[in-house]
Amino acid sequence: MSLFDKFEHLSDQYEEILRAGQDPFGMCLEKVVSPTSAIVNGQPVILAGTNNYLGLTFDPACVGAAQNAIANHGTGTTGSRFANGTYSIHRDLEKALADFLGHKSCIVFSTGYQANLGAISGLVGPEDTILLDADCHASIYDGCKLAGATALRFRHNSAKDLDKRLSRLGSEGGAKLVIVEGLYSMAGDVAPLAEFVEVTQKHGAYLFVDEAHSFGVFGEKGKGVAEAQGVLDKIDFYAGTFSKSLGSIGGFCTSRHPEFELMRCASRPYVFTASLSPSNVASVRAALGEIESRPDLRQKLWKNAKQLHEGLTALGLELCAPCAPIVAVKMSSRDDAVFSWNWMLQNGVYVNLAIPPGTPDTTSLLRMSMSTAHSEEQINDIINAFAGLIETKNPAKKSARV
Amino acid sequence: MYNQDDDLVFHKACKLLMPFNTNQIALSRETNIASDLEIDSVAIMNLIMEVEDAYDISFPMNLIAEIKTVGDLVDTVHQLKRE
Repeated sequence: MSLFDKFEHLSDQYEEILRAGQDPFGMCLEKVVSPTSAIVNGQPVILAGTNNYLGLTFDPACVGAAQNAIANHGTGTTGSRFANGTYSIHRDLEKALADFLGHKSCIVFSTGYQANLGAISGLVGPEDTILLDADCHASIYDGCKLAGATALRFRHNSAKDLDKRLSRLGSEGGAKLVIVEGLYSMAGDVAPLAEFVEVTQKHGAYLFVDEAHSFGVFGEKGKGVAEAQGVLDKIDFYAGTFSKSLGSIGGFCTSRHPEFELMRCASRPYVFTASLSPSNVASVRAALGEIESRPDLRQKLWKNAKQLHEGLTALGLELCAPCAPIVAVKMSSRDDAVFSWNWMLQNGVYVNLAIPPGTPDTTSLLRMSMSTAHSEEQINDIINAFAGLIETKNPAKKSARV
Repeated sequence: MYNQDDDLVFHKACKLLMPFNTNQIALSRETNIASDLEIDSVAIMNLIMEVEDAYDISFPMNLIAEIKTVGDLVDTVHQLKRE
């Protein structure tokens, strides 16, 4: 018996996708020219699916801070936060994030994935119960597994369904942690956080909100969907990532409970890995400063999101959610999505191909994320590429270009 | 173990699986939900939400992972209803 027999189905599916053209899951950017453009297969391509919401990856303040940190602190920490891997810059960043969100404790993790894995598996024990939104990210599902707790799914964005499941549990199931996201990464829809706050409080449960895609993007000051909906002070745990609006890599979790600091001893994904490299810590600290001092970054991002959302709506495309910096276009089938993804790349636009089981409700999507760094012209080029795609699929149809 | 023909839960499960049974295969306790009906893991979890509501029970995710056949699904419903 081979270890690889069980992957036969996966291998068949992957080969079918490869026969249709380029490899959507192994594409190589030969040169990254800017936050919104790259060279792929020797051709210039507009990047429309990088989660680089504020376009800070080439920001001079962030790049300069990272360069200085390498010179001053070295290329890596070579150790766990639990041992030799905590520098003053890690502590400073944690304090800055806690202060920014008005929380008492913040722990920085080495990736966004590990922030969810580490916070959830550290907080919740086998006697406790997790209730998670059905559309939560894989890192949340994996955190539940590592916690060894009873995990129950509730219907996406339905506080009513959560209420029903919490009522069903009653006093059974130990402490209860409810986990939702602020902005969902695939469809780009927003959680009704105020409703979730009400239901979790009613049942004496804790609320954990992952704002990976909404930190720096939503809210007047960029504090996420929780700020935008006026419930930031009611969230028990707030998780985020450094690899989206903050333009680096790493993750964090803050809490209004000072006891969260105990996770530094109890969370295996925190203890048993090397700490975030100095250059990443420094660029994130600089990026947080940009978020705090430059509301124009967010204003431009939302202007860009509106331009794309309106342009694609005018073409008659079916979009998954109201206007947000994530814009997902529904495709009729997986084959249609794979064909369309290839066509867009050949015509100079990189988008994300999202197919089941990585998508909600078994739909196939072409997913985009807008950036502050996109120009009006680039967004028009993206819209016009979609117009061309529609005409290629329906030669009788003529779409108006912008 | 219940005889499938006398088991109301089996019949209810078959009814809930109907929308997924695009090839109209005959369902039995031995039918493998993922491979025989070609339902992916997320769709199975969504189907189980329907079952949870039909019986007012909650399926912990670790139990869902062990459900391979229609019979497994039916037996888990009986087990959770007893608890």
